[in-house]
Amino acid sequence: MEKVKQKDLILYSGLIILGLAAPYLFSAFKVQLTYLCVLIVLAMTWNLQGGEMGYNSFGNILFYGLGMYLTASVQVGMFFPLAEWTESGGEKTFVHTTAQYFQGIGVGLLVSAIIPAIVAGAIGYAILGLRGHYFAICTLGLGIAAGEIAGGIEIIGAGQGFTTPPFPAEIVDVEARGKFFYFLSFFVLVLAFVFVKYIYGSRFRLILNAIRDNEDKAEAMGIQTMKYKIVGWMVSAFFCGLAGGIMGGLIGYIDSTDVAFDGREMGVFMVLMAILGGKGTLWGPIIGATLFHFFKEGLWTFILGWQYVALGVLIVVIVIYFPEGLMGWLREKYPERFGEVIDEKDRKSQVELK
Amino acid sequence: MNKIAKLFITFISAITLTLASISSSFAKVEDGYIVLGSAISLTGKYSSNGVHTQNGYNMAVDRINKMGGVKVGGKSYKFEIIYYDDESNPKRAAQLAERLIKQDGVHYMLGPYSSGLTKAIAPVTEKYKIPMVEANGASRSLFTKGYKYLFAVLSPANQYLEVAIDLAVEKNGGKPVKIAQAFEQDAFSQDVRLGILDAAKRTGSKIIIDDKLPKELNDMAATLAKVKATKPDVLVVSGHTKGALTAIRQISEMKVDVPMLAMTHCDAAKLSKQHGKNSEYALCASQWHKNLSYKDKFFGGGKKYDKDFKKEFGYAPPYQSAESSAALLVFKDAFERADSFDRDKVRDALKATDMQTFYGNIKFGPGGQNVAKPMILFQVRCKGDTCENKVVAPTKWASDKFFHPIPPWSERG
Repeated sequence: MEKVKQKDLILYSGLIILGLAAPYLFSAFKVQLTYLCVLIVLAMTWNLQGGEMGYNSFGNILFYGLGMYLTASVQVGMFFPLAEWTESGGEKTFVHTTAQYFQGIGVGLLVSAIIPAIVAGAIGYAILGLRGHYFAICTLGLGIAAGEIAGGIEIIGAGQGFTTPPFPAEIVDVEARGKFFYFLSFFVLVLAFVFVKYIYGSRFRLILNAIRDNEDKAEAMGIQTMKYKIVGWMVSAFFCGLAGGIMGGLIGYIDSTDVAFDGREMGVFMVLMAILGGKGTLWGPIIGATLFHFFKEGLWTFILGWQYVALGVLIVVIVIYFPEGLMGWLREKYPERFGEVIDEKDRKSQVELK
Repeated sequence: MNKIAKLFITFISAITLTLASISSSFAKVEDGYIVLGSAISLTGKYSSNGVHTQNGYNMAVDRINKMGGVKVGGKSYKFEIIYYDDESNPKRAAQLAERLIKQDGVHYMLGPYSSGLTKAIAPVTEKYKIPMVEANGASRSLFTKGYKYLFAVLSPANQYLEVAIDLAVEKNGGKPVKIAQAFEQDAFSQDVRLGILDAAKRTGSKIIIDDKLPKELNDMAATLAKVKATKPDVLVVSGHTKGALTAIRQISEMKVDVPMLAMTHCDAAKLSKQHGKNSEYALCASQWHKNLSYKDKFFGGGKKYDKDFKKEFGYAPPYQSAESSAALLVFKDAFERADSFDRDKVRDALKATDMQTFYGNIKFGPGGQNVAKPMILFQVRCKGDTCENKVVAPTKWASDKFFHPIPPWSERG
């Protein structure tokens, strides 16, 4: 791992302080801030295999949805019969005590990180042999299929949806729930950032890049590309699962196709955010997600009913004017600010400026 | 790297400033206005019904404001609604509910369209103790969760088509019938299904086809092919507006003969207009019909509401609009009885609601559902080329006799 420089240290500690203070500074925006954290995690981890490895996946929503259902199921199933909880006609109402609630969500999140990672490993083994468009289309199918399957499983509510356990009523402070989910998502964000940052300084990233740039050559050089591809996807799945688990608890209601396996929204958003910010960079997805979230929250209410048209225009603008994303655009414009020393002689000899 | 750091810090400070400058919130009662909030589906798969709901709300707001507003503490207040578009997505709806309450300072909510979205919003309003009167979330599971701030002016979903099964059994000489059913995979339709299961158990009827339809459905040919082969006595279909339209379109295309066809959302789908004679004899569950004899001083009766609504919006009001208008009448009544803007007092007043509106009697049960109003069934009947919905059950309001069985396609012109 590269040494953390002093200036970086100031930046990071500043960001962490901002992150910790945010729910107090902008008390009314806690839910939006939580969404922002989750969106950043999704964009950042999508970038790992979409940006670094060059495998555009529309299937990460699968792990997100899986994490959501798993957390909620574990949280309920640990203490009460799951089938009775989800059965809509059931007159019984179960109430979690404070301790049960937090134990449940803790174990649930753990499960929702590990199982999606294992699933990613298994699926990855089967489909990561596909390349380019074939991989993208295949993963697109995964998300859609998962939504339809989940919509037919009675024990998790099927078409009725799954109401996740409400925040314990014994905690009187109405702000407590918002704070809890914010800090939880912020913690996951920090965890994901540290991990991704670590990967950026490691040989692992170089291998992923090698796979992106020329997989056959990488293989010829003795890199077991399959192994690294699977591991890369598992890392994404791990964090997608966690993000899903948090969102399930925050939203309070899981619907198979609209909330959990929401490929039409979340699944597209995570790709869009990474591309907006600049895929294949550390900060790109973070900036992309932040901008996207602000655009969405700020602008959408002013153009009621037309927001998806505006989103479509945004996508077109990004693709035409910022094909490399915002970071890529900045980098091209001010390469020296990115620590790139331009040696004219060297530049001329360089075929591709990356 | 330090350049990036500077860039980033500038970026963050810009955001901080923006956020800080917009985090002012509105008051719930300001300048003589009572501000209500609602997330509504203006886009997405529920957009047509979302607009029916919004039109219903707006119509009632205008009418109440014109007729003197809401009198609280000797002063007259007007209603105002803040709308957001929830995109027919529960996740978005829950987030917007939070936004309405926390950022816009809304203290009273009106419901969204559909059970699924209401299910997503109810935990939020419950958490902040915000009274919500909803007019479009009928799922039974909404009323078994012990919610204290949720009030629904409609009858629960499981009651929608139960009566239809009873009717079929009656027409079969009291003997059990064979039922074929197909329901969309969503909270509302699945509850309608539970109602049918209960009715089947009660009457000893057999369910021979029990299909699930996908959301955003536009094809149910597989189910209909089975219906053709097994010849059930009743076919039950529920899948919001699209379900009703798809069913009629494909039944007529495939010439499926079934003695009785029971559905939901016929009037929201404007079935009798869109499919004309092909939709004849379809039996539909409805929360409301203009021919019912309920009255109130704001809208008069159902017929007058129908006329006024047509004048304002250019189409006949489906029950989704009528029940939405009724929600505001309930709110007005509760505010005046509570004579206060204290949320708990308003909630208690809502709880004690017992009134008649043009839409029906309203009295809330322990779970918040309306227990004072029965569902009605109407049947599409045609005279020449114009088709109309005629009330056939319950007998108190029936304008026409229930036509049974549906003649086979070979005999229909």
